[in-house]
Amino acid sequence: MNIGKVRTLALYELQRTVARKKVLALVILTILVDTIPYYFLSTAGSSSIPLAARPYLWVVGVFLPQAFFLQFIALFISAGSMSEEYEQGTAEILLSKPVSRDEYFLGKFSGGFSLLTLVVVLNAVLSVASSTLTFGPQLSLEILPSVVISQVFSALVFFCAAFMIGELVRRSSLAYIIASAVFFTSQIAGIILGAIFRLTGNEFDHLLDLYLPTSPVNSLPLLVARPSLPSGATSVLQLGGINAIESSVVFSIGLIAVYAIVSLVITRVYFGWADVAKKIS
Amino acid sequence: MEEVVQFEETVKDYGSKEIGPLTFSVGRGEIVGLLGPNGSGKSTSIRLMLGLIRPSLGRVMLMGLDPLRHHVKALDKVGYSPELANLQAFMTPSEFLELTGRLVGLGRGLLNEQVTKTLEDVGLSAYENYKIGKLSKGMVQRLSVAQAMMGPPSLLVLDEPMIGIDPAGVVHFRSLFRRFVSDGGTIIMSSHILSEVETLCNSLAIIHSGKLVFRGEIEKFIQTALKSRLIEVELQTFPDDLLVEIQGVPGVTRATRMERGYLVEAASGSDPRSEIAKLVVGSGAGLLSIGYSRGELDEAYIAAIKGSGN
Repeated sequence: MNIGKVRTLALYELQRTVARKKVLALVILTILVDTIPYYFLSTAGSSSIPLAARPYLWVVGVFLPQAFFLQFIALFISAGSMSEEYEQGTAEILLSKPVSRDEYFLGKFSGGFSLLTLVVVLNAVLSVASSTLTFGPQLSLEILPSVVISQVFSALVFFCAAFMIGELVRRSSLAYIIASAVFFTSQIAGIILGAIFRLTGNEFDHLLDLYLPTSPVNSLPLLVARPSLPSGATSVLQLGGINAIESSVVFSIGLIAVYAIVSLVITRVYFGWADVAKKIS
Repeated sequence: MEEVVQFEETVKDYGSKEIGPLTFSVGRGEIVGLLGPNGSGKSTSIRLMLGLIRPSLGRVMLMGLDPLRHHVKALDKVGYSPELANLQAFMTPSEFLELTGRLVGLGRGLLNEQVTKTLEDVGLSAYENYKIGKLSKGMVQRLSVAQAMMGPPSLLVLDEPMIGIDPAGVVHFRSLFRRFVSDGGTIIMSSHILSEVETLCNSLAIIHSGKLVFRGEIEKFIQTALKSRLIEVELQTFPDDLLVEIQGVPGVTRATRMERGYLVEAASGSDPRSEIAKLVVGSGAGLLSIGYSRGELDEAYIAAIKGSGN
């Protein structure tokens, strides 16, 4: 494996993804998501936000996009990573070079995932900056790096799933639709199963909920942060409706790893076996 | 002759149609014109030799290696320009050549030098900082050939390389390709422009309905495919009796006067050019040129395709 070629392809993928207008729109959305909630909170009136909660309002911006927005960006970036190259006919140029399938695969994956990491970091930085500007100095920021790492790691589930779907269907629009459908189905199923479990106490429903792909994704950053957050911060999260399914950090990490590895193995095997498609569009 | 590409009973089965079995090879230093109607299997053959698709049966060897199992080594000295290439619109030609240069393993020092030289070679130096999305179709085609020439390779595989290129560019590319071959390179070129193939290539591989119809020299193909051949004789003057004398040359079936000379029809197996030239020189007519009519390849190609079933 030639690491130089992997790096070249990763930089190319990063550049290619950034050049897409859709991604530019996502960056703008990130900025909006991280500033608008603070604008509303600041205009809500001083009495509506307890004084004890104000130094922890950064958690709103960091955790609020976790359940939907960050996962949606993840699948948006990766669904087109392989499929768009087939559609545009650029894959055959790159793969006719002395580049192994492993180098191409790793380059594409790492380039896209690097961009996603940048978006997660941007989200955290903007959240802290907005909350500081609006509500003064923020506390417990020492846990921010581990939260960001857990967010990046948890994004692997839908990033890898969409990457796999993009390679399997080789049509970017179809890949977005299927990956989004999987994501929303899992989210909705999680809400329904959680509600049924609370009503009936049936453990099987809870178990099903635990193993849904969205469960560890939604839970891991909260599970990582919660032991270190004071009650002021957890009350802010509860007010925002941000709750983790009861699970453990190790279980969540394991489940995320399983989902990601299975997706990646399927993608790599199919990519190695299938013909390189001719230009589609 | 060292073989750079070998098809060995290679079959690609698409389900709805089958390409092959194909058995032929390409030797170093050849400029091979890959011909065939749309859908005949030219692109499939190219994609098989580049290891982009997997043969259903048989195998393809590129530089003596299986391009699927030893992709990096087999393609180390191969450049490929696809038909109607859709290049990365967000990049500039310089950036794109840097990317392809890095992928063929060029180091930093050589890379800049090669990017500059290759842009010059294809006439894109003035556009090196334009976005590819803003370039004309012809310029994109030039860039597609340029990226194939990064390395440099020893085998160029070109799918319709002259499409969209202006006449001056075509002339320039011809000399570029000839120089490439005289420097030890090999070219496999798929094209529908038969005059281009006739001008540039020294041998042919004709595929029709997935089968190899002919593989060999252009001259031999024309001789085989055409019952008679046309010789154009360009003269300064028209002495009496010269036309009758030419008509009497063995192999000549007919000779007619044209505005600037004679058009001589000869039986395909014969080659009466030297006899005709001797007669013309002896008559004092002033021989300007003599040679087989251009466009014979078109006729031979159509005859061969009809003869093979369509």
